Amino acid sequence: MRFLLRRLGFFLLTLWAALTLNFFIPRFMPGDPVDALTVRTRGRVSRDALEQMLTSFGFKPDENLFVQYVDYLGHMFTGNWGRSIGQTLGEPVTSLIGGALPWTLGLVGTTTILAFALGTLIGTVAGWRRGGALDAILPPVFVVTSALPYFWVGLLLILVFSEGTGGLLPANFNYDTSIVPGFSPGFVGSVLSHAILPAATLLITTVGGWILTMRNNMITTLAEDYVRMARAKGLTGRRIMYGYAARNAILPNLAGFAMSLGFVISGAILIEYVFNYPGVGYLLYNAVQNVDYPLMQALFMLFTVAVLVALLAVDLATVWLDPRARS
Amino acid sequence: MRPTRILATAVVLALAATATACSETKHKEPDDNNASQSDGPKKKGGSVTIANTAGQTWTCNFNPFNPAVYNTSIGFVYEPLIFVNALKDQAETPMLAKSYRWNADKTRIDFTIRSGVKWNDGKPFTAKDVAFTFNLMKKTPATDLYALWTTAGLRSVTASGDDKVTLKFKAAAQPYFYAFAHQVAIVPEHVFGAGEAAKKPDTWVDKKPVGTGPFEVNPCNPNNIQYTANPDYWQQGKPYIQKVQYPAYLDNGPANLDLANGKAQWGSQFIPGIKQFYLDKSSDNHTWSPPVLNVGIYPNLDPSHPDSSNLKVRQAISYAIDREKVARIGVGGQVPAANQSGVVMPTFDTYYDEAAVRKAGFDKPDPDRAKKLLASLGHSPAKPLKLKILSITGYTDWDASLKVIKQDLEAVGIDLTVQTLAQQTFIGRLYSGDYDLAYYNQQTSGPTPYYELRQMLHSANTAPLGKNATSNYERYKNPEVDKLLNEYASADETRQVEIVKAVAQRMIDDVPVIPVVEAVDWFQYNTKDIGGWPTEDNPYAQPAAYNFPDTGQVLTHLYSKSAQ
Repeated sequence: MRFLLRRLGFFLLTLWAALTLNFFIPRFMPGDPVDALTVRTRGRVSRDALEQMLTSFGFKPDENLFVQYVDYLGHMFTGNWGRSIGQTLGEPVTSLIGGALPWTLGLVGTTTILAFALGTLIGTVAGWRRGGALDAILPPVFVVTSALPYFWVGLLLILVFSEGTGGLLPANFNYDTSIVPGFSPGFVGSVLSHAILPAATLLITTVGGWILTMRNNMITTLAEDYVRMARAKGLTGRRIMYGYAARNAILPNLAGFAMSLGFVISGAILIEYVFNYPGVGYLLYNAVQNVDYPLMQALFMLFTVAVLVALLAVDLATVWLDPRARS
Repeated sequence: MRPTRILATAVVLALAATATACSETKHKEPDDNNASQSDGPKKKGGSVTIANTAGQTWTCNFNPFNPAVYNTSIGFVYEPLIFVNALKDQAETPMLAKSYRWNADKTRIDFTIRSGVKWNDGKPFTAKDVAFTFNLMKKTPATDLYALWTTAGLRSVTASGDDKVTLKFKAAAQPYFYAFAHQVAIVPEHVFGAGEAAKKPDTWVDKKPVGTGPFEVNPCNPNNIQYTANPDYWQQGKPYIQKVQYPAYLDNGPANLDLANGKAQWGSQFIPGIKQFYLDKSSDNHTWSPPVLNVGIYPNLDPSHPDSSNLKVRQAISYAIDREKVARIGVGGQVPAANQSGVVMPTFDTYYDEAAVRKAGFDKPDPDRAKKLLASLGHSPAKPLKLKILSITGYTDWDASLKVIKQDLEAVGIDLTVQTLAQQTFIGRLYSGDYDLAYYNQQTSGPTPYYELRQMLHSANTAPLGKNATSNYERYKNPEVDKLLNEYASADETRQVEIVKAVAQRMIDDVPVIPVVEAVDWFQYNTKDIGGWPTEDNPYAQPAAYNFPDTGQVLTHLYSKSAQ
């Protein structure tokens, strides 16, 4: 119990610190929303009109910073996140994020879980049959693929599977723009086929890490006395592999997995740009480019909370799964 | 939207595409695009897809006063009074106004409004709507995007009868005609004068825009805007094209890819390596990018920057740069070279004084002259003058241009260091004058060189160091030039040409800015099924899809060949 309270206290303190930094850092960055808008409107539009426009949308450049800070902390908790003052001028931040988040969660979330499951499985088998055919081929291959840059793999896949096949697999957007969104078989099929290439890119570049760590943890665990004991008892290989070795080998990886789940929400900026996939990643990029304080704040807040919650969950899970952590 | 922004991805794509491009030589078939231009009316049908990087998903707001979205509604749905063609010596096409008359001193203009025009909800359009639009800008300053009621000195706008509107100004206002007649889109009083729209016209979300234009929004979702032809459009028989698709491309890479594979027909951004990547893919792919502005070096003229404010140094830089080479190597030959007079050629040839440029020796690069100038200051290639130039990160064509410039300057005794900054940082330093040299271009062009020259040189557009300048970033102050520019408003056309030439002469004499290459309207088009595009021989409008209201002109010229 004391452990839990300590963890919760730490969680709240970190959250407050992150929210505070999140408010002040963008405001100390170079750049000014009015300048950004001036550039984007090619200087066609009078500066006064732009300032007025931003003011109408809730931008208050002259208000005392401390007052703004207190307001901001309140708004972060009530979900009153204001309106965009950047590229999507005037659009409520909640609807912008609401439109982009499902796509990111769907694509990056599914891929992250898939990569972890696949990587753990391959790592387990490779570690179990150390020196076997599988162990000789897969880990080295995936070490190479995890070192490749995301966008490069993405472009290669577009070239081979989209351009090379005459558009068999779509290379951009999240669904065919000519289909009206709805729960029709055509729409669902379109969403799935549009996700294949970006998901494959993510898989290829992330699965290697899981394979390697799992394989190495397996090898360490297989040298433990309880595994020798299990062998001595004459248990089947499968049972030892999953029940004795893998079960313990996966523990150190859980923390990493939870962290990567926390990072899912921030999307994969480069992937979303290469595949023109309208998720949260590109929203953040645009928010930073256009000094869009309200959007930046809300997004960073979400990322922070997601990672912190993931960490808290890891702590709890570890306590529950690993008796050694309780002492 | 981002004409010069090229991400590494696009470059990689282009390289990859070159590797796989066909090696067989294709011969261009003669282009029948212009031949059928004047053949009179066309049959209706067909659809066109625009690839113009939006950088965001659509918010489905079509409020013409919101600068984040106005180029998806003005030209498509909303229309101006008069269309002014910046590429054709200010040729005018009457739109919602049939005609107009200035008084003698250009302080009052009377528009005669076109009759028989209907809003797309069936209500009639009248002079009252026009007066309402302008008076709305007075009531809500945030909607006065062109500062008509302040800078332009608009005093009153009144409608009389169904077809007369009078605008009165404090002083001669002819140069603002481009803003109030051509850029302002007229909105319906019965929509913008009621409910939420009347209370907050600037922030109101206009989901179903009610306009007079050739197209209607039907439907819009975050990925794509579909426009369908307005069946009751006032130009009889137009538009010929029945559907326009406008997908929301987040970046140039995917947009250029769809242009190359034919999914989109109307492109509006820079394509690196355009020959292999786009033009060689099909004989129906064409490009034409008319120049509208100068890209060049902005030197800091404040005396606290001794090198950049020294005329001899600036002259040396201008003599040393081989502009043709910069255009060829830096931007792949997709833009023309600029000239020291600052008059964009060939777009504004009426105003160009070639003899003056030649007399000053700026007609071709002259490294020897640059060397002499620098030698008189004690510099040589062995003992170079060190200068730093700022540029923007991610503008790869600018990076390449600056590499060429650096080489040219090295040969005459200037050691140029290029520093690229994030756009926000760069803009901050440029506006406040915290730089020696900066590579940049003015952002907005007009129908004559006057507009760009005024932005660059008029002392009203500058500010002391540390304060933000609007557009005269180099801090040039010359009472004589101010006087000339101020006279332009009330001058007749002959005198206006003289004024531009006199100001261009000051560009040559004082070298306040060093134009290097010209900034163009990026435009690629596919003629497989679509004809009627603006071309070099028939430049009836600025062709890039981010130019409003020019899009309205293009959309009413396009037709589908298969529907004929």
